[in-house]
Amino acid sequence: MTYLLATGWTGDGKDGLASGDGRQQWWWLAADDETGDRRWVFIPSPFDLLRKRQYCQNLVVTAKMPVRMVESPAPASSSGANPGQTSLQPCSLLSVGQTFSGTQNVSSPQKEEAWRVNVRIQGCDLNHGYVCGTMEALNVPMADTPVVTFWEGEIVDTKNYTFFTNKWKATSEVDIDHWTKFPSFSPLLSQVEVDGGKSLDLSNYQYIFMRWKEQYFVNVGADCGLTIAGFYYVCFSCVDGSINGYYYDPNSSPFQKLELKTTNEGRSGFSFSSYELQ
Amino acid sequence: MPGSASSIHCPEGLIERLRSAAENGGEAKLKVLRELKNQIIGNRTKKLSYINLGALPFVVSILSSASSSSSSSDSLLVQCAATIGSFACGVDSGVKAVLDAGAFPHLMNLLSHSNEKIVDAGARALKMIYQSKVAPKYDFFQEKEMDILISLLDKNNEYLTGLGASIITHSCETKDEQKILGDAGILKKLVDLLEGTTSQRDAYMESFATIIKGNPQVILKSVGPENGRMWGNLLELTKDRYSRTRLLACMCLILIKNAVPSYLQSVGVRTKLISILLELIDDSGQVGDETLFTLSSFIENEEGLQKLAFEVNTIEKLCDHMQKELLQPKRLEGIFMVLANLCSNLESCRSVLLQSPKLQAINIITDGLSHTTVDVRVAACICLKNISRSVKYLSAGQFMTEAVIIPLIQLLYDSSTSVQVAALCAISNLVVDFTMHKSLFVQSGCVKRLVELSKSTDLSVRLNAVWALRNLMFLVDSRCKEGIFLELRALTLTSLMSDPSACVQEQALGLICNLVNGSVDSIEYVFAENGFLLSAIGRQLWSASKPEILIQGMYVFCNVASGKEFHKEAVMHQILPGSSNDDNQSIMVTMLQSNDARLRTAAVWTIINLTIPTGPGALARVVKLKNAGIVSQLRNMANDSCLDVKLRVRTALGQSLTFGNFST
Repeated sequence: MTYLLATGWTGDGKDGLASGDGRQQWWWLAADDETGDRRWVFIPSPFDLLRKRQYCQNLVVTAKMPVRMVESPAPASSSGANPGQTSLQPCSLLSVGQTFSGTQNVSSPQKEEAWRVNVRIQGCDLNHGYVCGTMEALNVPMADTPVVTFWEGEIVDTKNYTFFTNKWKATSEVDIDHWTKFPSFSPLLSQVEVDGGKSLDLSNYQYIFMRWKEQYFVNVGADCGLTIAGFYYVCFSCVDGSINGYYYDPNSSPFQKLELKTTNEGRSGFSFSSYELQ
Repeated sequence: MPGSASSIHCPEGLIERLRSAAENGGEAKLKVLRELKNQIIGNRTKKLSYINLGALPFVVSILSSASSSSSSSDSLLVQCAATIGSFACGVDSGVKAVLDAGAFPHLMNLLSHSNEKIVDAGARALKMIYQSKVAPKYDFFQEKEMDILISLLDKNNEYLTGLGASIITHSCETKDEQKILGDAGILKKLVDLLEGTTSQRDAYMESFATIIKGNPQVILKSVGPENGRMWGNLLELTKDRYSRTRLLACMCLILIKNAVPSYLQSVGVRTKLISILLELIDDSGQVGDETLFTLSSFIENEEGLQKLAFEVNTIEKLCDHMQKELLQPKRLEGIFMVLANLCSNLESCRSVLLQSPKLQAINIITDGLSHTTVDVRVAACICLKNISRSVKYLSAGQFMTEAVIIPLIQLLYDSSTSVQVAALCAISNLVVDFTMHKSLFVQSGCVKRLVELSKSTDLSVRLNAVWALRNLMFLVDSRCKEGIFLELRALTLTSLMSDPSACVQEQALGLICNLVNGSVDSIEYVFAENGFLLSAIGRQLWSASKPEILIQGMYVFCNVASGKEFHKEAVMHQILPGSSNDDNQSIMVTMLQSNDARLRTAAVWTIINLTIPTGPGALARVVKLKNAGIVSQLRNMANDSCLDVKLRVRTALGQSLTFGNFST
């Protein structure tokens, strides 16, 4: 029986590593449990993970590529929790005090509409896969002032949370429909379809996937005519801090898009602040 | 002697007869002692009165001559011991008087008498003495004394074994004393003694607890998980019909678990212990009070136990208790401490308290801030501090209300330093408040007091005051910021940054970092008053003793470098070699080469800010950074093991490449 232990990738070509054509390429470390043989195997189409096992049985011996080895403690297992998984690494753009602004598309078949939105991160606990903050919606027609809500986020780190929501009326089909709208999710799709992504190691992935659920209104009453019944599927880019999201609420128009970028409050560069709770 | 009935029984008369008996001897001794004993038994006032009249020296004198004479009656010795014991029972000044009168060695001698009744009487009297904290300290390091102790525990006599246990409970204080008792096999003897049905079980458990408290070594050496009898005995005793016995058994088990957690892993047993303790809280006396502290120490530091306690509705039960009228201070303190430990990690616990109807629970805790007893005030502060670890409720502005803030600010002027420190810790969480209510705090005039306390000679006060200021400064609006800075001033910030304590330095730099965050104008604060603040930070980075100081300091530079051209140039001046030190290497290179990813991250962000291509001076800065070896250092980091560092390095390199390629 052959197991896939880890994924890795070569550089993007600029570093002079061996990929040649400058593309990111996926490699899999395959191990044969009978012989103990371990080899890196190139899979030309990372989307085709369902056939990976079959592919591996036709192993081609390749020279070991200077790839970045992604740590994976055990053979890929499709059941149970992952106590050996590590949390995601901190990303300085997803830290307390960071602000983002952009738009939330709230179009319905009747009319086109978009609100300006500001988001601020207020809490971040990677060990528990937790993040929280506020969302401020401006130019909301039914409100005189900007509407501020407090949201809490689940970080998909495959340790605390997987890609399957398992609540908020979101089935796994709904989950997959939304996650696949993010290009950076494509390489992960096949594995997610199998087990929700439980066996994936995302600790070195350049995108962070989250679900954001608004919990309460901060500055208006709950009777303001706005709803916070749904939640957002969110994709955060560690590279530039850009955020894309899709709102899901069975009672609202589907796929209302959230697009945010980091803001610098008129500065020429990035600024950081922090607090420490006792 | 003939006399009127009243004069025979009046105190002075009795004393006179006692004196005469002591001097002359005879039948009268026994009679007068009996009368004296009957007078004082159970009567504190009479005990004190006879002590003042000088009864004790006479009694001791009778005891002394009876001990040395072979012809004296056994009942006389018994009466002497009983009388002395009675004086000592429950009255500290009685114990002192007994000791001052020289009774102790005589009583000890009675222990080796052949008549069992005399031995018992002596042991009982000594036990009374050892119940009091003014009893003489027993020296376990003296071989002879240890031998006596061991022989007491080996006897088949409850009064003697009980005495041995009392001596240990009284005198065993230090870890060395615990060790020597453990090494002498005392724990095993106590465990054996616990097996029998005996009235002294409580005494044995108390001494057992005294020896093992806070000392994992002793437990590991003497008591093992394989010691089934011990566990069996203690677990049985948790079901005893006497509440004090149940409590002591729980205490022993919990002390073992606190020292060696692996010895008590079973969820079933842990849940049972919590349930037993919850029942014991209903006891309205000292047992109930001590139960609360025992429960508190059980769940402290262990999230799993807090969760178990939460699941058996501990919070609801405690809230019910809290609402009873006229709670004694000890009880209230105990309840607050259990709630504090429950809320130390679990959001679920905090939610329950914050969502209780009409905020009753929070109101009672807030009332505790103004309690007359110091310990209650401290416990209330700790409780609030732990509840306010909830970012969710801080974001709702839940805590920034006058009902909570005003009494807390009052405590900053409390006469007790420990109350001031506890209040500062609670305030430092509350001021993280994300809503606009920080202004409520600033307007209360409290900032001035925080700044005063930040100059205290007491390290705890100083550190927590600066901590509170740092958290207050986080994301605060410009107007409040101005108000805070007016009190703080650059001079205070500079001296805080070079505080003797590294922890204070770290918080001070965190405070400055938050100060210069926000709108671009905020950066001007570090240039206030001749701008020496920035160079002070530069110097600090070279002499920093812990990485957290370096991180905060570098982020100050990072934040300043995100400002205008003038700001970026000022940072360049600080980080390039030759500016503040003789070193040839830039502080940046040192940080970029650090093993600590957080330091590398902070340094790269600063470089990103300095080389933002849109700035007119960017090219010149890139050249200078290249000349200082910083750009080539960055190239070495293009595949840094930390993802965050790697991404920032690529951004920084990308920016510097905008100005054309460099040949290395």
